[in-house]
Amino acid sequence: MKQFKKGLFDEAVDVRGFIQANYTPYEGDEKFLSGPTQRTAKLMEKVNALLKEESEKGGVSDIDTERVSSLLTYPAGYIDKENEIIVGLQTDAPLKRGVNPFGGIRMARQACEAYGYKLSDTVETEFSYKTTHNDAVFHVYTDEMKAVRHAGLLTGLPDAYGRGRIIGDYRRVALYGVDKLIAEKSKEKKAYGEKLMDEANIRTLEELYKQIDFLKKLKDMALLYGIDISAPAKDAKEAIQWTYFAYLAAIKEQNGAAMSLGRVSTFFDIYIERDIENGILTEEGAQELIDDFVIKLRITRQLRTPEYNDLFGGDPTWTTESVGGMGEDGRTLVTKTSYRILHTLYNLGAAPEPNLTVLWSEKLPEPFKKFCAKVSIDTDSIQYENDDLMRPIYGDDYGIACCVSAMKIGKQMQFFGARCNLAKLLLLALNGGKDEKSGNQLAPEGEAFRGVLDYAKVRKAYHKYMEWLCRLYVNTLNVIHYMHDKYAYEKIQMALHDTEVERFLACGVAGFSVAVDSLSAIRYAKVAPVYNEQGIITDFKIEGDFPKYGNDDDRADAIAQELAREFSDELKKTPAYRGAIHTLSVLTITSNVVYGKKTGATPDGRAAGEPFAPGANPMHNRDLSGALASLNSVAKIPYECCRDGISNTFSIVPSALGENREDRAENLTDLLDGYFGQGAHHLNVNVFDRAKLVAAMEHPELYPNVTIRVSGYAVNFHKLSKAHQLEVLKRTYHERV
Amino acid sequence: MNTASGRIDSLYCGSGVDGAGLRCVVFFSGCNLRCPFCHNPETLYKEGNKTTVAELVQKLERYKGYFRRGGVTLSGGEPFLQRAFYLSLCNALHEKGIRVCAETNGHLADPACIAAADSLICDIKNQETDDLSVYEKFFEECRKQGKEVRVTNVLVPGKNDSEGKLTALAKMMCGCRIGSEIRFLPFRKLCEDKYKELKIPFLYAAVREADTDDIAKAERIFYQNYQK
Repeated sequence: MKQFKKGLFDEAVDVRGFIQANYTPYEGDEKFLSGPTQRTAKLMEKVNALLKEESEKGGVSDIDTERVSSLLTYPAGYIDKENEIIVGLQTDAPLKRGVNPFGGIRMARQACEAYGYKLSDTVETEFSYKTTHNDAVFHVYTDEMKAVRHAGLLTGLPDAYGRGRIIGDYRRVALYGVDKLIAEKSKEKKAYGEKLMDEANIRTLEELYKQIDFLKKLKDMALLYGIDISAPAKDAKEAIQWTYFAYLAAIKEQNGAAMSLGRVSTFFDIYIERDIENGILTEEGAQELIDDFVIKLRITRQLRTPEYNDLFGGDPTWTTESVGGMGEDGRTLVTKTSYRILHTLYNLGAAPEPNLTVLWSEKLPEPFKKFCAKVSIDTDSIQYENDDLMRPIYGDDYGIACCVSAMKIGKQMQFFGARCNLAKLLLLALNGGKDEKSGNQLAPEGEAFRGVLDYAKVRKAYHKYMEWLCRLYVNTLNVIHYMHDKYAYEKIQMALHDTEVERFLACGVAGFSVAVDSLSAIRYAKVAPVYNEQGIITDFKIEGDFPKYGNDDDRADAIAQELAREFSDELKKTPAYRGAIHTLSVLTITSNVVYGKKTGATPDGRAAGEPFAPGANPMHNRDLSGALASLNSVAKIPYECCRDGISNTFSIVPSALGENREDRAENLTDLLDGYFGQGAHHLNVNVFDRAKLVAAMEHPELYPNVTIRVSGYAVNFHKLSKAHQLEVLKRTYHERV
Repeated sequence: MNTASGRIDSLYCGSGVDGAGLRCVVFFSGCNLRCPFCHNPETLYKEGNKTTVAELVQKLERYKGYFRRGGVTLSGGEPFLQRAFYLSLCNALHEKGIRVCAETNGHLADPACIAAADSLICDIKNQETDDLSVYEKFFEECRKQGKEVRVTNVLVPGKNDSEGKLTALAKMMCGCRIGSEIRFLPFRKLCEDKYKELKIPFLYAAVREADTDDIAKAERIFYQNYQK
């Protein structure tokens, strides 16, 4: 019998060490893959029926309003007990959503009501005696914080729901078993007990108590399914099951916006390959395990309000799994299981979750590159992030949380900070600190602009307001995360981190391309504001043309670079809670629609209320110099000042990508190599005709599984609101006419 | 600094269908033909933008990372018409290690122009004429130089989709021994707006667009006759 290699990782917790010593890189092609077994197909049929029912019920199948979701709240639940290999559901029935009011009771109440349910008196009573994260934040928020939040200058702040974007190292449970993890944490708690009892150490001690407590609960949770996970997993099935239980515990405990999985496929591969070598598993069986695991990930659900869905359209969970990449020693981290997990998109059909994220390197094995490209073309379900850019910073065992947030698994975490609206901030500067929508004085009073706009003056005023907002933004996030730690601490996820964890304060910007083009218009064309009776700017008169971001024109792109750098620098001037390192993302999720709604007409000619482009994308249909020119512009945004990611969603029509399937795959591979070779960070790839989406919008019943990449994640097109669907249709579809 | 200059209409960076791999396409202004179905009338009736080889190469160089199989396609208009500019551009791109594909109407069988390109695309314009002799000359030169040529033909219903037209085309290509690869491009009227903007009548406005059935039929006839 083949055994794992021994090493220091057997003593101290070190999953990476175990992977490096034991994994088998795979440089071949996809021909070894197996289709779905009869059992898988049958189970998937059942799941598809449940999904259809969920969709017919308006998006929510059922809600358990009587209990508060946690690890031991619900009895064991199954889709089809006899036919499941990997077990465990969030509640006692598939797709039934649990209630998680720790982030805020109002949000939980409203979410129930939105779907025709009523939160039970038991839960209401219980929480009337509790301070939620949401209560606590509002106890402390200043009037100014509330005002900018209300005006939509800061939006999507995690102050009424779980912050998410934390990846527990779920693999630790499989590799070490829970008992060993409890023992390690207990040792550390003891060591902390020797230290000075200052505020920070007391807090850590209390957190360690909570972590240990929840590790015990994790064991009990698995026992509800008749499985003892106190010792290490012995085979592939157990490794996947143990890991899944750890992840399941996290999504039962927390309703964070993004509850990402990490980087499990190559870890699983070690167990799978050993079982295959030992003759106790076949390829078909290996694929079946992965398929079954992925089925579970696909039915992960959280209870959300309609307002939340406006920001994060399509009911996403961001069960992000990072696949592939290269090792620091030059060997590829692609294994057969990297293929197997991507292959679920064929075996189970295209789907948005798990959010499969390929860590792209120029050095990835060519057959794998081509396979990924084919999967993209066939399913529009995967995204790509630049491993060559991130590996030097995060090593070779990092994962992506949510869409584009890199972190070393189990060693780093982030405080999710949503984003601020850069386009609206520009209008605020032009209006002397007044909100262009309400006319209220939001920021300190400054000079309101009159007549044709002078670039230098505008730039100076913009910077002044940026200083003001960045300080306010970081302060607001500090309040939120202090309270989240205090009232909604992620016990199981943090139990699966090192105790000494590195933290990021992940800030973000929206309306990026609108702000860039607006500044470019002011600089290169003649822009004069139009005022209402109150002297507030309602529109702009633009004379002449101006360079637009997205055409590889350095005049506009330099403004983009400058803006990212400037904002990042400003953020760093206000210290972050718990010594966190400030990072910045250019990412909107689907909130670009809401932010657009909340923003008046802008100097680039965008009408009031019109959606922004998503993430770092050039504005719709302004990137007219070709797909590669558009990519080159985005590639110029410096990752060093946008360490939380630069999201670009790219849509190309198949007939422009190549004449046949083979050519398209080759060309897409070249496109990714060329884009990432310039230091670009992220690319969502969609290969389809706009016509297909128009048809899907008009006849959703005929296109139930149209999956598209929106902004760092994928959604079922039919799950998007009409406004989001229309926005997607407006985007640039690169074609050669 | 290469100061040779010429006139181009525009630059399009990102095509997977203008030669092998991913390509940037330079649309040269000016053409020796006036095809009534021309898809790029702006290159015929507008003066174009003056640009130097150095400027253009500096822009195109930024795309080198995408060109594993691809490169730059010089199209138009007719690129061979601005001979000095074209040759200088090809030369400068080669110096940067970028491959060049020339997309030509084949009416100027200029040996130097043909030699300067790594590969060629020739679009045969047989919609309004039965005389294919210019292409024979052009293909002859390409064959002599051992250049790869991709042949395209815009299929316009009622104009060049008849058995007679297609047979003649097949026979000519067979006779020139340049291979049987041909791509029929369906006639489309997407360019109609461009004509409106230029205030020039679009002579094929009444002709219907070609569909996939037309293409399949044309391919069938073509290949049947290519064998003979």
